[in-house]
Amino acid sequence: MPSRERTRAAGIASDPGPRSTDHGPLGGRHERPDARAKVAGSTRFVADLALPGMLHAALAVSPVPSARLAGLELAAARAVDGVEAVLTAADIPGKNQVGVVFPDQPLLVEDRVRMVGDRFALVAARTPEAAWEAARLVRPLLEELSAVHDPVAALRPGAPPLHEGGNLIRTFKVVRGDVTRERARADVVVEAEYQIGGQEHAYLEPQACLAIPEARERITIITSCQCPFYVQKAVARVLGLPLAAVRVEQAPTGGGFGGKEDYPSEPAACVAVLAFATGKPVRLVLPRELDMQASTKRHTVVVRHRWGADRDGQLCFAEVETVMDAGAYIGLSTVVAERANASSIGPYRVPAVRVATHVAYTNNLFGGAFRGFGAPQVTWAAEATMDKLARRLRMDPLELRRRNVLDDRRRTTSTGQRLPGPVLASECLDRAAALAGWDEFRARSQANSGPVREGMGIGLVLYGCNLHHGGQRLDRSSAVVILQPDGSVVVRVGLTEMGQGNLAAAQTIAAQALGVDPAVVQVWQPDTTTVGDSGPTVASRGAHMSGLAILDAIRRLRTRLDPVAAELLGCRADEVELAGSLASVRGSPERTVPVAQVASEMAARRIEAIATGWHRTRPRRFDPETGIGAPYEFYAIACQIARVKVDSELGLIRVEEVSAAHDVGRVIHRDAMEGQIQGGIVQGMGWAISEELKLDHGRLANPSFTDYTIPTAADAPKVRITVVESEGASGPFGAKGVGEPSLIPTAAAVRNAVCDALGVEIDRLPLTPPTVVAALGDRHPFAWLLSERRVDEHERLATVDRDG
Amino acid sequence: MAERVTVTLTLNGERRTFEVPPGRRLLDLLRDDAGLTGSKEGCGAGECGACTVLLDGVPVTSCLVLAASADGHEVVTVEGLLQAGRLHPFQDSLVTRGGVQCGFCTPGIAVTGAAILARGEADPSEQARLLSGNLCRCTGYTKVIEALQDSFAKGGHAKS
Repeated sequence: MPSRERTRAAGIASDPGPRSTDHGPLGGRHERPDARAKVAGSTRFVADLALPGMLHAALAVSPVPSARLAGLELAAARAVDGVEAVLTAADIPGKNQVGVVFPDQPLLVEDRVRMVGDRFALVAARTPEAAWEAARLVRPLLEELSAVHDPVAALRPGAPPLHEGGNLIRTFKVVRGDVTRERARADVVVEAEYQIGGQEHAYLEPQACLAIPEARERITIITSCQCPFYVQKAVARVLGLPLAAVRVEQAPTGGGFGGKEDYPSEPAACVAVLAFATGKPVRLVLPRELDMQASTKRHTVVVRHRWGADRDGQLCFAEVETVMDAGAYIGLSTVVAERANASSIGPYRVPAVRVATHVAYTNNLFGGAFRGFGAPQVTWAAEATMDKLARRLRMDPLELRRRNVLDDRRRTTSTGQRLPGPVLASECLDRAAALAGWDEFRARSQANSGPVREGMGIGLVLYGCNLHHGGQRLDRSSAVVILQPDGSVVVRVGLTEMGQGNLAAAQTIAAQALGVDPAVVQVWQPDTTTVGDSGPTVASRGAHMSGLAILDAIRRLRTRLDPVAAELLGCRADEVELAGSLASVRGSPERTVPVAQVASEMAARRIEAIATGWHRTRPRRFDPETGIGAPYEFYAIACQIARVKVDSELGLIRVEEVSAAHDVGRVIHRDAMEGQIQGGIVQGMGWAISEELKLDHGRLANPSFTDYTIPTAADAPKVRITVVESEGASGPFGAKGVGEPSLIPTAAAVRNAVCDALGVEIDRLPLTPPTVVAALGDRHPFAWLLSERRVDEHERLATVDRDG
Repeated sequence: MAERVTVTLTLNGERRTFEVPPGRRLLDLLRDDAGLTGSKEGCGAGECGACTVLLDGVPVTSCLVLAASADGHEVVTVEGLLQAGRLHPFQDSLVTRGGVQCGFCTPGIAVTGAAILARGEADPSEQARLLSGNLCRCTGYTKVIEALQDSFAKGGHAKS
């Protein structure tokens, strides 16, 4: 195969990197431990598990977004052949409550419907067909109530309140410096309002879980999820059980992206209630349409900006006001808003900052966790505004960013936090620009008058790794390491594999620290009875938090292993080194004994060969009132540059290439790291241009992959990657998370590239063809044909139902 | 008892007979009657490709095929790509080139990719087009196409 062709379509990473070496597997490309079973089709997802006598669950849900529930007629549902239970709120043994941070969300509706997809009743039957048929026959007696579908309107006086206390859930702020003074100093000021649409996770495996009851005393839940400890708490609450009586085992999980952070607690609570009522195992697999309708989404937001700079391009002030559409329940919305709020300014030095982030209830789709967690929306807005400033200043957008990014000398963020470690914003900008050929592209006189136009744009992000200060109590992790008598190693961590490569990362870290081949290390998915609560697998914290807990466990294991090795080697315990599957004497590498022999000797002597490990993040100062302080422990920076072609007649966008420079600290597993970046870019591109949540009075009008279009192999751009490695990050071997920084800048880079190609500003995401055509206005090639009215029509079609 | 139809097909090289309701989908026959759970259901509407199998050598979404219509035909599932317990060359390349993440779309991708190799299609753009009926939300497709190229370079098309 000619290499040129391969590179063109396959987008080979620029840095081939080492395979696993004598220095250990760190940073190599050894096989992922889960790959062979998955590729052979032998990995058992929840839908592949069945038990004798197992029942199938189905949900009866609301078709309307706002109503009073006067009653339920269940006789027809109960009469369906094969149905064993039809349950309502009154049948829940514990609390009818599944809110993850705030108790505003019942598992089953008692009297008030607040969103399409709210559950009325649970069904268990001997076949899935019977269960869903019965669910369809549940007849709710509804008195429809007025609904609100615009988050801004929801905050106005007189809007119909969803809950007691009104629709404003909370406002977060950052207040720093003297905006009035700085505004007077600014030579250019950009004001904008950005309408940023949400996103569906579109994990390929729908939500699924299986409950196995033991009398009415204990229960095992096997579930596709990111956060088994969330599920454990939710199930314990609805069943009225102590946490220790609820065992949650994470099944292999077919994609998460945040969509399996908070939401899986709901289906798990459903099957748990059915399993307790029937005494039988119960499995639920959501049909795709219901999954897309009822599960959480990336938040739809409106962001208003007023940013100013002096004539040299130095930012003077930034004012940001964001309204987030939480949907009908808080879920994780306040936590998402906390991150959006802290991320609003990006990696820039701004003397005066005012940020306000409001979270509003509406009767729309349920907002929740999604890769980036509020940061992608505010980053999109910030990067759009930076390009607008550059155009006003007639300055190269790359140069404007270079002049304003944080660096080693000026490292204080918009929240007043001094960044730890090397600050690599300029490095990422320059590396991405070199990879993309930024200067050459801009120097080339682009033939940008024809129907197909080319453009290039930048997206830059400063991502706070791990949990926000507000979630610090959850920011700890647990690991268990067992050295088997044959020298193989069992590792358990409390963080989950959902495709991102946490098993590979944990395996690599354990193998590196024990000096053994990764192939002898088996990492098993978590189960709440085998490891401590490690918080959620989110915030790009998986490899970091599991890695540090594993290193702690291995440190403790070595207090027992090293003396045995030392005896076999005839040296002191503090002289033992582990590498290349051998224990050796420091300074005398020829004196060795296989690690496996040490393991066997430990077993023979009945020495404890199991160790636990723990890690918690360092406490930080942060003032939630002013937003000032250290919201995050440390940060990762990423710059992506997109090159696009835009058909200006049809408004179609083709993303040709994305060049990505990522500050990852230290690479743990190179294929997994690249896979995160490549996948994040394509998911971010989908959000940027094609993935539109079309709402019809709170109902998702396009709940299918035909109508909600995620990128295919034919849409994928060429991706070039360069990693900026550095010393000093606090993660395992200095690694930083990459899962979310991979997605966050993409949509911004695409937006800026499209605007560069067309010479217009587009302040609405996604950039669907009608949005692009509408933005061109009288610059559209056929503007003379398209009357004002018809362009309005395009606009209306693009946004129909956003406001109901 | 409801009406049943007899379906006799060659499944992964073995002649098998099933008695199924007339409306049964091929995907359910494979997963529930034959116990081959490698084919996944991601949408039930022929959109995602996770249930792709080969019907007389051609990739089809088995959620849209009636089991009865497979009567007399040859079906190969992801399980049938393995020969004597060894992975198909494309499956092997997916593993070694990092083309597997969550793994839910992977069986369908393995089946479609095997068909692309069998067809001798070497052009990566055309390979990407042929794979566009198989959605993957994790990988961004880069390493999947690299794996196709890799197995093609190793002669996987000749062996499949």
